[in-house]
Amino acid sequence: MKTIKTNKLGKYLFWLGPFLLAVGLTSGLVSGNWGIIPLVFLIMGTVISGLWIVLQSQRNQWWNRRSTQASTNALIATVAVFVILGLINFLGTRYNLRQDLTEAQLFTLAPQSKELVRSLPQSVKVWIFDVNRNPQDRELLENYRRQSANFQFEYIDPQAQPTLANKFTVKNYGEVYLESGDNRQLVQTLNVNERLSEVRLTNRLQQITNTTTTSVYFLQGHGEQVMTSGEGGISQAIQSLDDRNYIALPLNLVEKSQVPEDADVVVVASPKRELFDNEVKALQDYLNGGGNALLMIDPNTETNLNSLLQEWGINLDNRLAVDVSGTGVGLGPAVPLVTNYGQHPITKEFGDGISFYRLARPLEINPVAGIEAISLLQTKPYPQSWAESDQKSEKLDFDPETDNPGPLTLGVALTKTIPATTNPTPSASPTPSPTIEGETNPTPSPTPSPTIEGETNPSPSPTPSPTIEGETNSTPSASPTPTPSPTIEGDTNPTPSPTPSPTIEGETNSTPSASPTPSPTIEGETNPTPTTAEKPEEPQIESRLVVIGDSDFATDGLFQQQLNGDVFLNSVTWLSQQDQQPLSIRPKEEKNRRINLNIVQANLLTLSSLLLIPLMGLATAAIIWWRRR
Amino acid sequence: MGIVLSNIIAIYRRELQSYFISPLAYAIASVFWFIGGLFFVMILLGPDGILSAVAQIDLQGQQLGVPIPPIDVPYEFVRAFLDRLGWLLLFILPILSMGLYAEERKRGTLELLATSPVTNWAVAVGKLLGVLTFFTTLIIPLFVFQAIAISASNPPMSPTIPLLGHLGLILLAAAILSLGMFISSLTDSTILSAVLTFALVLLLLFVDVIAKSIGGPVGEIVGHFSLLKHYNTLIQGIFDTSALILFTSYIFLGIFLTAQSIDALRFQRR
Repeated sequence: MKTIKTNKLGKYLFWLGPFLLAVGLTSGLVSGNWGIIPLVFLIMGTVISGLWIVLQSQRNQWWNRRSTQASTNALIATVAVFVILGLINFLGTRYNLRQDLTEAQLFTLAPQSKELVRSLPQSVKVWIFDVNRNPQDRELLENYRRQSANFQFEYIDPQAQPTLANKFTVKNYGEVYLESGDNRQLVQTLNVNERLSEVRLTNRLQQITNTTTTSVYFLQGHGEQVMTSGEGGISQAIQSLDDRNYIALPLNLVEKSQVPEDADVVVVASPKRELFDNEVKALQDYLNGGGNALLMIDPNTETNLNSLLQEWGINLDNRLAVDVSGTGVGLGPAVPLVTNYGQHPITKEFGDGISFYRLARPLEINPVAGIEAISLLQTKPYPQSWAESDQKSEKLDFDPETDNPGPLTLGVALTKTIPATTNPTPSASPTPSPTIEGETNPTPSPTPSPTIEGETNPSPSPTPSPTIEGETNSTPSASPTPTPSPTIEGDTNPTPSPTPSPTIEGETNSTPSASPTPSPTIEGETNPTPTTAEKPEEPQIESRLVVIGDSDFATDGLFQQQLNGDVFLNSVTWLSQQDQQPLSIRPKEEKNRRINLNIVQANLLTLSSLLLIPLMGLATAAIIWWRRR
Repeated sequence: MGIVLSNIIAIYRRELQSYFISPLAYAIASVFWFIGGLFFVMILLGPDGILSAVAQIDLQGQQLGVPIPPIDVPYEFVRAFLDRLGWLLLFILPILSMGLYAEERKRGTLELLATSPVTNWAVAVGKLLGVLTFFTTLIIPLFVFQAIAISASNPPMSPTIPLLGHLGLILLAAAILSLGMFISSLTDSTILSAVLTFALVLLLLFVDVIAKSIGGPVGEIVGHFSLLKHYNTLIQGIFDTSALILFTSYIFLGIFLTAQSIDALRFQRR
């Protein structure tokens, strides 16, 4: 009687084991955290079940049977095989060989991306706020993750986790954010047509890991486009710059006659009135000292920037760019449509994309030594586009005498290399560029060898050259061509010339620019005495300038259309001289291939695959079946 | 070793012969060919097929003068077709594997096999090879159709990716068949065996989905066991050793478990 009771008790106790296990598992799964309570349940359940098994086995001695031994062996062997296979697979994933066999290397990251992810200094996480997980996107993200443990990604359903979505201010499904520390940036918004792009992700990754911010100054005070939203505002452009870690600031050159030192890029967005001479000079100084500027100049405006532009070999055409090709898509003839871009980091990714420029003026590029000019935006060739001089008449007709046939250049990117410092010792190499000197020295100097001029010759040379070094327009210069010199002029002329030459040094800010100081020792940088051999070789600095004969493309509303915004943003990015950035990742493209089946082949395939082969199988089956009967 | 090998070959030949004289096998084959052909025609040639879709895009591009993004038609076609074929396997393979041992059990020949001097291993390997060979012959006509289509591509396509994809297809089939063989060895009902195999394969295919919902490192580990994920890797044209290792593991596991379960049979029926 007693034994029966204990037996019963034991049975009930046994049921407690699985029950506690189930409780532990459920609470753990439901709460999502495996804290102390589920663990206690689990442990208790395991202990009770284990005790029961021990008790049971003591009672009926089942382990002495042969079948038990055999099945225990089998069990152990099976467990061992599972463990071994698991380990093999684990090692297989750790040390796997992965080879992308597709011809276009569709599933391989660009070397720039690989490099960047491998050298990630801190952990970066990609958040994708989307419900559907595109396998291609996942594949791409997996590829990134394989490169470094610092890269992670997670898919989030914004409705399931609204707090997280709020933290990132998610507005739509498909938004992809990149998070590094406290820094969060929108990468792109995914939809059915737009998949995650490696180009964008890598660029954004570069930006977010790059802690330096870039200041972009917008010149104000001459009727430029306002930085806030509103009529002719460029708030969208500024917002986009903000998103990219740029700081947009207003710049007033009337108050300060100097561009701030932290200015990485100066944007002159369509001034309606003329700039003061000293403003132009400040810009010139800035550009000659390694600055970068984006000039967007609308037609029919006088900006007083011509001298500066001429220095860079750019001529603003006063005619209006006309393009009749856009009428099909609702763009009038005064809105040139550009699909032809130059080979330049700014426009490299554009392919045949469209950008358009309402009321634009063409530019002329004159080659200037030391300046590399690349035309960025080209309109269509002549019958479709030309430069119209007669803007009064209602009919737009090409007049071969006054008008200029297309293709017209609407935008140009220029690079000027400036030696950072020059070495005043005579041994220092005379820069073998006679052309530069020939241009900077308009005076008929008695010494015919122009190479020695100033730059390398600290000896008191008797050249009585009234070298007009600066490029300011205010000087009543007798020089026939005030062409720009690609070298810093301030450094180049340490010659204490015997004649009080009115050397006007454009660069030095210490001196009032317009005053012709007779003393040659104006530069703070170079000492005229030949003993100063102080400055070591410094890397060359580069000035960059982008001139676009239109500003409308960057205004609100037009900014987001087609590639207009990209033209602006890429220009600023390039100008900020941070193009160690992998701007040049080519988007992965499949090989373009078609299957050309003629009708006979297609019909043959259809017939044989749908009828012939299945019927053959069926017939054989029927024959065999019939024979068997 | 030589004896084991000749045993395997003997079993293999017996299995193959049984397939080629069985009307059921031919019936399965013709159904498979018909459905496979239907997929082929629908994906490539049909009104919603890839050829007409691309032709339409090309035409639009010409009319509007807009450049169209490059499309690799043969690559996309092979990928799509192999993807659908992978799903078709789900239904056809349990039918192939269901009879492997269950039939023997039903007929009472399993005891003979289990107690014969031929090791259980050799029997399992021979049976698996036989059914895999049968399956391979099933896909040969479909492969020929694809080869004809691909050979008409311009510019020509290298056969690497289709071959890799078909290797993946055969590996996937081998893994499923191997597991199906084990399940077949557990029961004497072919229907139950087919249903169980179907359920198991479905589970293994959908492990990926489960893993995604779990997330985290655990989800990643679970996701690695997904057959579909690795199959997709291969048909996309990525050669990945970890996928090959996983498929081989499944095949090995199926053979091992089959041998174990037949071993256990000896002691159950002492």
